[in-house]
Amino acid sequence: MTTLATPIPEMAAKHSDTGHRFDAQRHWSASLDLVFRARQAHGESKTCLSHARHQGPLRVQRPFYPEGRQGACHVYLLHPPGGLVSGDALSINASVATDAHALLTTPAANKLYRADSQGVAWHQRTHLQVEPGGLLEWLPQETIAFDGSRGTQSTTVELAPGAQCVGWEIMALGRPASDLPFVSGRIEQRFRLMQNGRPLWLERQPLDPNHPRFHGRWGQGGATSQATLWVVGLADEAAAIEAIRAAVPVSSRWAITRRHGVVLLRYLGNERNEAWDICQLAWEVLRPMMTGQQACVPRIWLT
Amino acid sequence: MPIDEPLRRDDDLALLGLLQLVSPALPIGAFAWSQGLESAFELDWVTDEASLGDWLEGVLDDGLTHCELPVLLRQQHAWAAADSDAIAFWDDWLQANRETAELAAEDRRLGEALARLLRSLDRLPVAPSLPGGAGYATVFAWTAHCRDVPVRQTLLGFAWAWLENQLAVACKALPLGHTAAQRLVEQLRPSLVTAVDKALTLDDDDLGPALPGLALASALHETQYSRLFRS
Repeated sequence: MTTLATPIPEMAAKHSDTGHRFDAQRHWSASLDLVFRARQAHGESKTCLSHARHQGPLRVQRPFYPEGRQGACHVYLLHPPGGLVSGDALSINASVATDAHALLTTPAANKLYRADSQGVAWHQRTHLQVEPGGLLEWLPQETIAFDGSRGTQSTTVELAPGAQCVGWEIMALGRPASDLPFVSGRIEQRFRLMQNGRPLWLERQPLDPNHPRFHGRWGQGGATSQATLWVVGLADEAAAIEAIRAAVPVSSRWAITRRHGVVLLRYLGNERNEAWDICQLAWEVLRPMMTGQQACVPRIWLT
Repeated sequence: MPIDEPLRRDDDLALLGLLQLVSPALPIGAFAWSQGLESAFELDWVTDEASLGDWLEGVLDDGLTHCELPVLLRQQHAWAAADSDAIAFWDDWLQANRETAELAAEDRRLGEALARLLRSLDRLPVAPSLPGGAGYATVFAWTAHCRDVPVRQTLLGFAWAWLENQLAVACKALPLGHTAAQRLVEQLRPSLVTAVDKALTLDDDDLGPALPGLALASALHETQYSRLFRS
């Protein structure tokens, strides 16, 4: 056994490991840990970003309160490189404590660049946790997968009983505007949603343009844009689904359902904007049902 | 060889037990469910014998091979070891992988119906007992275990019952001719064997269906104007 054949465990990378190497061990890790807590002061409850630790090129901007001091704590996650290349290992952890309310988004699309000549993969792990009475809105801007990109994206959501969470993952495969379709590479997305230690929703989405499922109707059906929106903790799931069906124009490219306490909206089509608009509209319908307040669209989405 | 006779008799009883379990005459109402196939007809995704063959090959490989079949293997071993934690774990795992309301309901209803039948035959497991709300695969694996069906045959039987049921749906709703259905059986019989071979080798990490189109079709079925099937 040569040491070269042994991959470095991602989290074992030292700070001194600059990642400036171009062989099969290319590695650059970055992590972000955020904790939101509700603080009581002058009879008011305010959500504070009580803990923020970062390592490598992942940051947050100062939190702000566009919905008022008692409203959601809005935070933008920044990843200055703007995307993932071979060897990158991003780890994002966000925890929302009892009765706190946070909205997380990003200022731009997350790009998944073509793999290097060694075909080294990147990894992105997102771990979201919500305590009883807490609410987390996880609304990142879309992910754009460049042709030849290789890596895994895993999202784990751990909810206490009585926690609420809404989130989405919107992905565009290839860059149709530049006539650069996604024809090689392999991306795997995994979702894992747990409550009380039991899985409520598990999903695996391997995206391999050379597999029959990529064009087969049972699979991707040739779709170059896709989205999944999840929401847990609604008082009346059936009413929420009816309201979304009434608000979003009917098409066979999207549908909504509920199973085991999770409402799921899925989109499979070819238009990033259509995927985004459907998800945003569904979120705007859901918001008052979750908090009693209208959706407050992050201004960064409009720029 | 008189010594082998009781063994042969056990094998025969196991085979008959499997045939009984996978028979369309088993009163659990499997005929009422289409697993998104009726919606695929409505959407014009599946329109004839050839496109139905592609759909079934795809669902077999990206669905059953990575989901129900390897779970049956794990559940039958868990029943043999009376490992209630493993039984509950894989039952939860399979239900969490159900993509839509109708696919989840199908699993639960078939599991309930089979458990009800076993109760009236006095064949329910006692220690450990069935987990509450056990899904179809969990109850199916128990039935196969208590009849001493070899694991490989359990998987083949389950996949066979799935194929027959999907073709019955197509004969009713596409409609597909009965001879065409038998041609598809001939085409897919080797694929069932390949699927079982593969399912027996997969690691836990490789498991999970990858059927986004089927999931979309199944969710669209909830609002389909006219429906013969419950999924």
